[in-house]
Amino acid sequence: MAKPVRVRLVLPRVARAELLASRAVEEAGQRIAFPRDTLAEVKLAVVEACLNALEYGAGDVEVEVVAHPNDARAWIEVAVVDHGPGFDPSTVTRPVLEDKLRSKRKRGWGLELIRRLMDEVEITSEPGRTKIRMIRRRGGE
Amino acid sequence: METFELKVAEQQGTLAVMEVAGYINNEGGEAVAKEARKLLDAGHRTLLLDLKATRIINSIGISLLLEVLERTIEVQGALAFCCLTPSIAKTFQIMGLSQYTRIFPDRTSALAELLPAQ
Repeated sequence: MAKPVRVRLVLPRVARAELLASRAVEEAGQRIAFPRDTLAEVKLAVVEACLNALEYGAGDVEVEVVAHPNDARAWIEVAVVDHGPGFDPSTVTRPVLEDKLRSKRKRGWGLELIRRLMDEVEITSEPGRTKIRMIRRRGGE
Repeated sequence: METFELKVAEQQGTLAVMEVAGYINNEGGEAVAKEARKLLDAGHRTLLLDLKATRIINSIGISLLLEVLERTIEVQGALAFCCLTPSIAKTFQIMGLSQYTRIFPDRTSALAELLPAQ
């Protein structure tokens, strides 16, 4: 049985650092022959999680990508951890395009995209540590 | 890594076509919004963004595209996209953008549809 492909990285606080995580997802996904279009969706979700961590977190942003090759449905699991003040995910309202068009604040799509692009998303957050763990399966929605 | 490029590729009547390549993040989104403002101020009313060479748009880039959409609505114009990757198409679908913009599979079909309407 083939072993999972595991990549761990700490993002530097530089412009476009989120793309390093995206690249790690691509590399791991390609090694288990994950479908390209599905992989592109995982990459966007990971970019969004990293952007949140880099913007609202503090200290290192740690990313772990695990690509599981041998199950009947191969899957990719990604965890993004930051060490910021934390937040309560239940207070994050879902964005509505009509409202955003009327509002000066047009941002706020990241968490919605993560939730809609991945099959499973788990957010645990407390002061000093926020972790977004997400899973996408081959053939998932 | 995902070098951003923007070019106004065509201007026909009140239609302008912008070709966008690379990562649309805050910087890329700002560049698109700035060019779109210039085109609208110059009298163009239909903007077509050709995203053939764009593989990823992050949520900050998306919010800047919403500013472009808001501005086109204000001037009673229209915003259209073509050549979306499946993941970008899904992103737009999640946001509900197709209610407010027109989305075409390729530039040829976009121009065929948008030009006669001018």
